[in-house]
Formats: sequence, C-alpha cells, structure tokens
Amino acid sequence: MNIFLKELKSHRKSLIFWSIGIFLMVTSGMVKYESLSSSGQPMNEMLAGMPKSLLAVLGIGEFDISTASGYYGLLYIYLLLMATIHSAMLGATIIAKEERDKTTEFLFVKPVSRNGAILAKLAAAFVNILILNIVTFVSSLVLVGKYSNGEVVTGDIAITMAGMFILQLLFMVIGSSLAAVKRKSKTAASFAAVILLLTYLISVVIDLNEGIEGLKYLTPFKYFEAKNIMFGGGLEFIYVLLSGGWIAVLTAVTFIFYKKRDLNV
Amino acid sequence: MRMNILLHELRAYRKSTIIWTISLIMVAALFMSFYPSFTKDTEEFRKLLEGYPAALREAFGINLDNFFSILGFYCYGLSFVTLCGAIQAMNLGTGIISKEVREKTADFLLTKPVTRAAILTNKLLAAFISIIVTNIFYITAAILLAYQVATENFDVGIFLLLSLTVLFIQLIFLGLGIIVSVIFQKIKSVLTVSLATVFAFYFLGMFSSTSGDEAKRYLSPFKYFDTAYIMEHSNYETPFLITSALFIILAIGISYFIYGKKDIHTV
Repeated sequence: MNIFLKELKSHRKSLIFWSIGIFLMVTSGMVKYESLSSSGQPMNEMLAGMPKSLLAVLGIGEFDISTASGYYGLLYIYLLLMATIHSAMLGATIIAKEERDKTTEFLFVKPVSRNGAILAKLAAAFVNILILNIVTFVSSLVLVGKYSNGEVVTGDIAITMAGMFILQLLFMVIGSSLAAVKRKSKTAASFAAVILLLTYLISVVIDLNEGIEGLKYLTPFKYFEAKNIMFGGGLEFIYVLLSGGWIAVLTAVTFIFYKKRDLNV
Repeated sequence: MRMNILLHELRAYRKSTIIWTISLIMVAALFMSFYPSFTKDTEEFRKLLEGYPAALREAFGINLDNFFSILGFYCYGLSFVTLCGAIQAMNLGTGIISKEVREKTADFLLTKPVTRAAILTNKLLAAFISIIVTNIFYITAAILLAYQVATENFDVGIFLLLSLTVLFIQLIFLGLGIIVSVIFQKIKSVLTVSLATVFAFYFLGMFSSTSGDEAKRYLSPFKYFDTAYIMEHSNYETPFLITSALFIILAIGISYFIYGKKDIHTV
C-alpha cells in the first residue's frame, strides 16, 4: 500500500501537467472549430469530391467537419496520441526508475516481494491513466457540448473515451513489459516511444494507401478510429479482443520477467 | 582536456545519431514511396479542382502547381520528419546538463580543470555536430529518394530549402532543450520531458493557427516555416527567420549565464 501511495504522490505533478495539457488541447481544437465553422459552407461540397489519400494529406480524414462532433472526431487522434504517450512513458518509467535512481536496493530490502512491488506500481499507473482519461472525457464533454448547438454528443464521446482507455492500458503495459524485459531498463522509455511513433506512422500511411489495409491489425491507432466507433459504430469486438489479449500477455510478461530480473544496483 | 569533453560527448551521441538519422530517412522514404499511388489517386480530383473558381482554391491555400507535385507531397511527409527531428534535438538539448546530474557525474566533471563555460561550449558543440551530421545524411538521402519517385522535374533548390527547415526547427528545439536543462537540472526522464514539449508545440501549431492569423504563428516553431510560402517564393519568411535566430541566441546566452552561477548538487 505504501508503494502505491508513494508512486501516486511522485506522479501527481506530472499528472497535473498532462491534464492541463490535454484540456488546452481540446480547448484550442474547439476554438479552431468555431472559427472554421463560421467561415461557411462551400467547404463540405468540395471535400466530398476528394479522394481518400488527399483527405489524409490535408489532415481531414472522413469527417463532416462542419459539425462539432465531426470536428471532435478529427481532434480525437491527437488526444489519443497524447494519452498514449503519457501512458507509455508512465508504464516504462514507473518500473525502470528504481534502477535509474539507484533505489532498487532500498526498495527490495523492505519486506515486499517483487510481485507485490510491481502490482502496487501498476495499480498506481492505472489510477493515473484513469484520471487522465476522466479529465479528457469531462473536458471534451463540456467543450464540445458548448459548440455543438444542441447536438447530443455524450454517447459518441463516451465511446471514444472507452477506446482511448483500452489503448492507454495497452501502451502502459507495453512500457512496463519493456522495462521488465530489457537488460538496460533505462532505455525502455525510448523503446516504447519508438513503438508508439512507428505504429502511429503506420496508421498514417494506411490512410494514404488502401493497398496496405491489412496492416491495420499491427497498429493500435487503427483499432478504435473515431470515424468507425462514433456515430453509432461502437467498438469492434475483434479489436477489443485483440487489445485485451495483448494487455493480458504483456502484463504477464511484466510480472514474470521482473521476477527473474537481474537487478542492476 | 577541452577536446576530451567534446570527443566523449560525440562518442556518447554516436549511436543515437545513427539511429535518428536512419529513422528520419525511413520516415521520408515511407512517405515518398506512396507518391506514385497518390498521383494516380488525385489525377481525377486535380481536373475537378481546375474547374473550381480560383478564389475558392485560394481560400483553401491550394496551389495546383505545388500541391500535387512531388514537392507538395514531400511537405506532407516533411511535417512528420520535422516532428521526429524536433524530438531528437530536444532530447539532445535536455540531456546536455541533466545527464550529469542524473547519473551523478556532475561533480566528477566539474572537478576537472575546465571552466563551466568551456564544458557547456563543448557539450553544445557536440550536440550541434550531431544535428548537422543527421541533416547532411538526411538531405542527401531525401534528394535521392525524390529523384527516384518523381514523375516530372522538380526544383532542387526549393527541395533543399524545404529540407533545411528540419535543421532550423531542430536548432530551435535544441535551444529550448538547453534552457530547460539548465533551469530544471533534476530532470529524471529526458524523453518524457522532450516528447511532451515537442508534441505540445506540434499540436499548438496545428490548432492555434488558422490561415491569416500571423500573430499566433509565433507561438509554435513548427509554424515558422510555411512550406506553401517557401514553394511559392523560394525563400523563407524573414520575420520568422529573425525570431528563430533570436530565440536560439537568447536561449544559448541565458543558458551560459544560468549554468555559470547555478549550484550543482553533489552526490
């Protein structure tokens, strides 16, 4: 319990910064929507004729950006990126920091098993990403609601946040498993960032070229795309199963490998 | 002794420089490889666009000659290259001082017969060299790639100008990183700080600026070099060049000042 509380406390400041960041992100996005929506209609007509790859290049995708919820769908991928960066870094550092700060010995001379320590740390990370998710949810709800002119957005936003939470969990355990497996755990955060940026890039190029659509199972950023899950689409079972499976496997990897780990002191 | 620090830093950066250079080239290659299918996709749309009144196209900021050319398409990929490059530079900058504190080697270094200014100079120089090397390899590779996929002739001069924006933005983030590094010396995780900062500016640039709103462009370095402007005028926008230069000089100057006086905690 002490480790859990200690971890919560040591990540409090960064969590506050991330929450402010994500709030500002939603705000600036919706402010931009307001200036865009007042600029008039011929836009949609023109967008309708564009091929998919061009829309991707323009950064619009397949949304009706004349509505607040459509614009939010556009914004969602960036919220997702932010939240996953946060959770990947958190997952990696929360495990790796004992070795980095040379406090491993201090921790493990206490009457606590490695499993117990990891459990407490992952629980603390879990609480952190949950809070960030809730902050995002509430800011989106309030700000999108403000510009939506009565359009009901709660359900759509809730479903995107559910998707985001699954991906946050996924990237958290990607980070933590890397920190547990890699011999130099200091590099786990960089490695997790590489995985994140790479999978994001893959998702971007899939939009550019329909021929490589099959790669979509490789990149979590394609699992819960706003355009598929919003507007009544819902989370696809196959992707929920896939990410659930990955989360379970990587959590197990974290525990098993950390237990056997030759700790650098 | 002075040389030693420089060489040591360069050696420490060698592996990461190689990895970053390869990644930047890979990102560019990834996007370039889709150019042929993109041209095919857009052929029809291009004809459609030509039917639109020029004023409407103008409002979109779509310049037909540029937009569908290899240069226009390169700009799209370039925004991701720039993002990665900014992370590299910010990492270098943020790590410069904080790594000595984090790895508890600051007092080891400072007991050597070198001034703090000399230490900072050498470290900066090493980071600078690492960035320059990355850019030389990146630009060479990018030009070769462009020649491979281009369907028609393009202006190499403009291509160079576009590619050089990566270097400028990297220098800005290097400066920003150093400032952060000397002010908050107890940075535990360099990558977290640099990723968060770089992405914050990236998003800020994306969502704060609407076309015509010049003042807000100063907020994010990612908006200092407007690719459409570069393609049209084959030049950079002077006010933003000056801002960048001023920022870099100020950042480095302030860093020397702060680092010269700062208390360094021993282990």
